Amino acid sequence: MPIAPTYSTTGFYRMAQAQQSALRGEAEALQRQVATGERLERASDDPVAAARLRALARADRLAQVDAGNAARAREELGAASDRMGEMANALARARELAVLAANGATSSSGRAAIATEIAALRETLLSLANATGTTGDPLFAGEGSGPAYTRAPDGSIGYTGTGEAGELEIGAGIAVQRGLTGPAFLSFQTNGASSDVFALLGTLEQGLRGDAGDPAQAARDALPAFDAAIESLGRGQTVVGSRLAWVETVETIAGETAEARAVEAAEAGGADLAATISRLQQVMTALEASQASFARLASLSLFDRL
Amino acid sequence: MSGNLLQIGQSGAMAARAALELTGQNIANAANADYARRSLALADMTATGSVGYVQGFPTGSGVRIDRITRADSSMLYGQARQSGSDLARATAELDGLREAERSAEQAGIYPAMVEFEAALGALRSDPLSPSLRAAVLERGRVLVDSVRLGDSGLASAMERTRFEAQAGIEALNADAGELARLNDALLRAREGTSGHAALLDRRDALLGRMAERVGITVEYGPRGMVDVRLGDGTGPYLVSETSAAGLEATTLADGSLAFSLGGASVTLASGALSGRAQALSAQRDARGELDVVAMRLASLVNDAQAAGVTPDGTTGQPFFAATGARDLAVVLADGAGIATAPAGAGAQSRSTGNLDALRAALGNGGPTAAVDGLLSRLSQAVAGRAVTHQVLSAVSESAAAALSRETGVDLDAEAAELVRFQQAFQASGRVIQAAAEIFDTILGIR
Repeated sequence: MPIAPTYSTTGFYRMAQAQQSALRGEAEALQRQVATGERLERASDDPVAAARLRALARADRLAQVDAGNAARAREELGAASDRMGEMANALARARELAVLAANGATSSSGRAAIATEIAALRETLLSLANATGTTGDPLFAGEGSGPAYTRAPDGSIGYTGTGEAGELEIGAGIAVQRGLTGPAFLSFQTNGASSDVFALLGTLEQGLRGDAGDPAQAARDALPAFDAAIESLGRGQTVVGSRLAWVETVETIAGETAEARAVEAAEAGGADLAATISRLQQVMTALEASQASFARLASLSLFDRL
Repeated sequence: MSGNLLQIGQSGAMAARAALELTGQNIANAANADYARRSLALADMTATGSVGYVQGFPTGSGVRIDRITRADSSMLYGQARQSGSDLARATAELDGLREAERSAEQAGIYPAMVEFEAALGALRSDPLSPSLRAAVLERGRVLVDSVRLGDSGLASAMERTRFEAQAGIEALNADAGELARLNDALLRAREGTSGHAALLDRRDALLGRMAERVGITVEYGPRGMVDVRLGDGTGPYLVSETSAAGLEATTLADGSLAFSLGGASVTLASGALSGRAQALSAQRDARGELDVVAMRLASLVNDAQAAGVTPDGTTGQPFFAATGARDLAVVLADGAGIATAPAGAGAQSRSTGNLDALRAALGNGGPTAAVDGLLSRLSQAVAGRAVTHQVLSAVSESAAAALSRETGVDLDAEAAELVRFQQAFQASGRVIQAAAEIFDTILGIR
């Protein structure tokens, strides 16, 4: 930095002081950048980058919430999938029993035993359908918070949840349904009429007990309905499985986006260590040279020669 | 004849000694910023009577001190004052804006807003959870605190700015009064004396100080007297000869300042006072924006509350209350009062329809974006003003350097003068010696 020729002593000292304090200020700012790793001390250092950093910090914070929500959705869908697997086993066992009961060789006492087991399976299915997730809320009641299925005084079991499963946002603008409602996989169509597994098993149990004519015929009549019920449940399992896969995909994407955000934040507000240190060195060199030349010039006084 | 030579030598020695004294005075004041270099103007003493008229050859009879000249350049002083005025304005405005930026940024309004949004987002995962609901309420309280902190920070920044402006006005009026008295003293002082030069030093120092407070135009009169106008050459007189008018500031209802001189309202164009007035307007605007943000936040959240139902199936009650940022408050007593489900969803619904609507309203161009805008505008303003300040500071620095070059003391030059006048003194001594020798020679003739 050249020192302009001055003809006044105070002017010379003031100029030298201004130049050196400017250099010192710059060196201190650079040192602070190296120490903190942040290029911006306050927003006005670079308003555009500061606004960008604010937006990135906000996106980061909201993404953390989304990640928490995605983990929650994954848990709930996983639990739903497990329960549905158990239901499928119970239903398969019930169908086996129905085939056994449809056999003419099965004795009436055997059918009575089968009817008892069918009733037990119906209870199992009911408790599985009312299963709750990790937070204690029902898995299959949609947006309701009470049990999904309740038993009426006459012994029939009806759905008491809501018609829609709630959605959970797991990313910016990405929402996933957090489960399935009971009727979505426990109800099915047979012979043009809709029914559900509880009605199916209830009717079968009563049929086997001989409440309506031939018990073997009742068992045979139930078989197509069983096929429809198992197919409906299988469909439900596929839906839940694919949603689980979707949640995992979204989580992977979110991880990559967070990484990209971190890189962008470092670019917008981070200090490039190599560049900052070399710039600091440059400023320090200039400051030292300026101090040395100032000392040389200031020591030049005509009074020493008098 | 020899008597005349003696007188010539004596006057030369006296002039050289006076010049040496003046050089010493310059050296002593080398570090005095208000001091302007003095120099001695000499004139030869021509004999007018018959004493020096010898054989038809008129000769001089020595040297006399004509006057003490003060290095002066009204143009350079004017430039230094003008640039000092502009720089003081920019500095005051930048300081005020920095203060506003700091208040708004350090209150943490934006992060608090994001945390509030995040708490609402987390509530979606389990809308009936009491702990998540309590978290939303607490984040709301933190948000309220930070908005109020920002508002009170801006309010106290305005208070400080006003206080500084009032202090500046008092100092300006005191300086104007002193300048009026100084004009009176200048009228009585004899020009060309060191007393007169000292008064001029004082005058220029006062003018420089006044110019830093407020933009002025100086009109020079006889004997170095000055009249001072506020602003440009058409402005009202702040100091006219030996009388000074008082500048006054009144605080308006919105907290900004209005200036008046002798009862008539005036607008200040430069100087620290005008910068403070600008800073006050900017701080007031920022406060106004914060008020808008607070009311927008309250109305958005309260409207959403009213549109939904709480877990016990009743319509949501207001969450915030606000008539501005100052009195923003959380009025919802319990997290159970947050209406997450849409109207008609019934009791204990886990539907998040209403919560989603609220989050969308907060997210898309809502209060979060408004706070971001406020912070952006403030930091942009500070960054822009900082550039202006840098430019003006360079201009002012070079004007001050030019002035100091013209009027300041250079120790090397003074050292050379010291040697020169010392030699002149010695030479005059030789003249006196020669005169004495001549006299002795004549006396010695027998």
